[in-house]
Amino acid sequence: MIYLQAFVDAVALGTLFALVAMGIGLVFGVIRLVNFAHGELLTAGAYALLFTKGMPIVVRIVVSLAVVVALSAVMEVIYRPLRTVSPATVLIATFAISFLLQNAALLAFGTQGENVEFLTELNKAFVVGGLRIRWITVVGLAVGGLTLAATAWVLRRTDVGLQMRAAAADVQMARLLGVPVRRVVVMAFLVAGLLAGVVTLVLAVQRPLITPTFGFQVMIPALVGVVVGGLDRLVPAALGGFAVGFATVMLSSLLPGAQRVFLNTVLFVLVITILLVKPDGLFVGRRRAVERV
Amino acid sequence: MRKRPKLFLLIGVFALVVAACGGAETAETTTTTAPATTTTTKATTTTAGEEPAAPEEAEPILIGATIDLTSFMSPFDAPAALAAQLLIEDINAAGGVAGRPLAFEAIDTQVDAEQYKAGAIELIQKGASVIWVTCDVDFPTPAIQEGLNAGLLTVAPCIGTDQMGPKRFGDAGRLAFSFGNMAQDEGAAMAEFAIDQGWMRAAVARDNLLVYFQNVADAFAKRFEELGGEVVLQENWTNGDGTIGNVATSLANADVDVVAFSTAFDDLPGLVTGVRSLGSEVPMICSWACDGAFWVPEGLNEFYYVTYASVFGDDPSDEINDLISRMEAAGSKPTTGGFVGGADAVKAIAAAIDATGGTDGASLADFLENMTDFPGVAGPISLSAENHTVFGRPYRVIKITDGKHAVVDVRSATSPADIG
Repeated sequence: MIYLQAFVDAVALGTLFALVAMGIGLVFGVIRLVNFAHGELLTAGAYALLFTKGMPIVVRIVVSLAVVVALSAVMEVIYRPLRTVSPATVLIATFAISFLLQNAALLAFGTQGENVEFLTELNKAFVVGGLRIRWITVVGLAVGGLTLAATAWVLRRTDVGLQMRAAAADVQMARLLGVPVRRVVVMAFLVAGLLAGVVTLVLAVQRPLITPTFGFQVMIPALVGVVVGGLDRLVPAALGGFAVGFATVMLSSLLPGAQRVFLNTVLFVLVITILLVKPDGLFVGRRRAVERV
Repeated sequence: MRKRPKLFLLIGVFALVVAACGGAETAETTTTTAPATTTTTKATTTTAGEEPAAPEEAEPILIGATIDLTSFMSPFDAPAALAAQLLIEDINAAGGVAGRPLAFEAIDTQVDAEQYKAGAIELIQKGASVIWVTCDVDFPTPAIQEGLNAGLLTVAPCIGTDQMGPKRFGDAGRLAFSFGNMAQDEGAAMAEFAIDQGWMRAAVARDNLLVYFQNVADAFAKRFEELGGEVVLQENWTNGDGTIGNVATSLANADVDVVAFSTAFDDLPGLVTGVRSLGSEVPMICSWACDGAFWVPEGLNEFYYVTYASVFGDDPSDEINDLISRMEAAGSKPTTGGFVGGADAVKAIAAAIDATGGTDGASLADFLENMTDFPGVAGPISLSAENHTVFGRPYRVIKITDGKHAVVDVRSATSPADIG
């Protein structure tokens, strides 16, 4: 029963990381940019929820989503001149933006944080066969599934999605064929922002203390998950995020109490082993995919 | 296409390095590069009926502080520094110490190791007689070492472990002291309170992030069992490792009378909300780490914590309430009782200088090592040759009912728990 309960908690954390991983994977798929500042999108959304505390839930959700999507659009503008420089430069630039935003929040709002009090009822649990399952776990799973399906639908069934896939395959060729690449990139950031906004809503229920590092803390393990799963494609990236979250909780329940200080050690030994054995990603098939998103 | 493996490798290594650094807080320390700022207090306020202020011409005794006033340690360092400055105003208004006024100069290090070292050197060159550091033993170690190497008394207002002294710094550490609550003492007080409530079966959750958190949990378990209680479950996790939901589920399922722990940051509300949302109304008890209203979820009940002082207007000490009012008037109302350590540090330093007639580090340390039941602002405090962090402080036990904080007991631990 203990391991079944751990399984439920593992699914909850895995779902959360999977949602974050999707946003990172989408932007990478289109313009080969790992946005380290993706976590700060979540932080911005969380502060928006905090500052609208006391307002109707719908207003809080709309404001939060709008703030996250707007910030994502601003990031696209900032990163635009960097598209032609080396990957290492871009990586450091996104990291710099991340710390700039973190420190700006730190100076503006302090470090202590505040309880956001958002949809707290979703933390309550129902019992199934002796297992306690929080509603937010169910909501997270549903939101994760729907979001993944919706994103896949946009990519597969709409003109914008087709253009994204074309740009992801070969930007120069897409541009020559008349694909409005700049608009496609903007769209990718907007969709990634929307995904980040949705994650913020789920995360704020589970982790209600809003601090300047609110998003950064989940961004790093999710990014590890993206690399483990397969940075090239959306579904492997999401599965990688899920795997890292799931493994974290399951390992925690398997390790004896006094040995749990070694949780991250064990986890990252696994991660490194996977990267050595399958450097393209755990969930990428033997045949390398042509399309990246 | 050929560049892809290199790119993956670069991203992977970068992510792993950041993750291995242990999270955002460590990262912040390495990237904060804003220039240090300084603030100086040489208060000489005199009011009617008081003794004359220390002579203007007398050279001030400088307490040089390398602390964080703007980064993530500022919630601990800044209130303690403000309380210290207010106490210095009082002392100077009453004539100073040994005929000299006290002065307090702070350098904002933003928790940057280089700033700590440079700040301490600068303050020592300015003639600081005492070095004052951030409420953590690891971050300001370069400043502590500079202070100790210069033979100066080196104090921290609220480090909660027993590491600020010979245990960490060897013989030179004889000059190092903390006016925070020793974790072994806080944990013991928590256990003694729990036993007095008739809670005989406990679950203990041990956060491995900080030595302070670990020591409080271990001290609680040790004293609880010494007094006949039974620890039926011990959970371990590391703050921020993502397993807090799992820990909360385990605690909520435990058949116990009380859940004891010490944690803070993001996992604190996660743990408490997690346990309560699963339907468990078991009493929970925590250390100073849980002080403050900022993290408390709406409608929280049956939650207790021990702390230095109540900042909710019901502290039994008029001196504390007056100090809080003055801090509020100065534009910075404290959010936790941790400021008490700053005030007590200044009181003790002044008493030590008065008693020894000078600022020699070794002489001041002799005084502090023999300080028993010294009248701190929240009650008597003690230090010893063995324990360079305060013990014996009368803790305010605060109960949260429906989200509201109220003092329900004031108690000292009979002794710090011996956890080895």
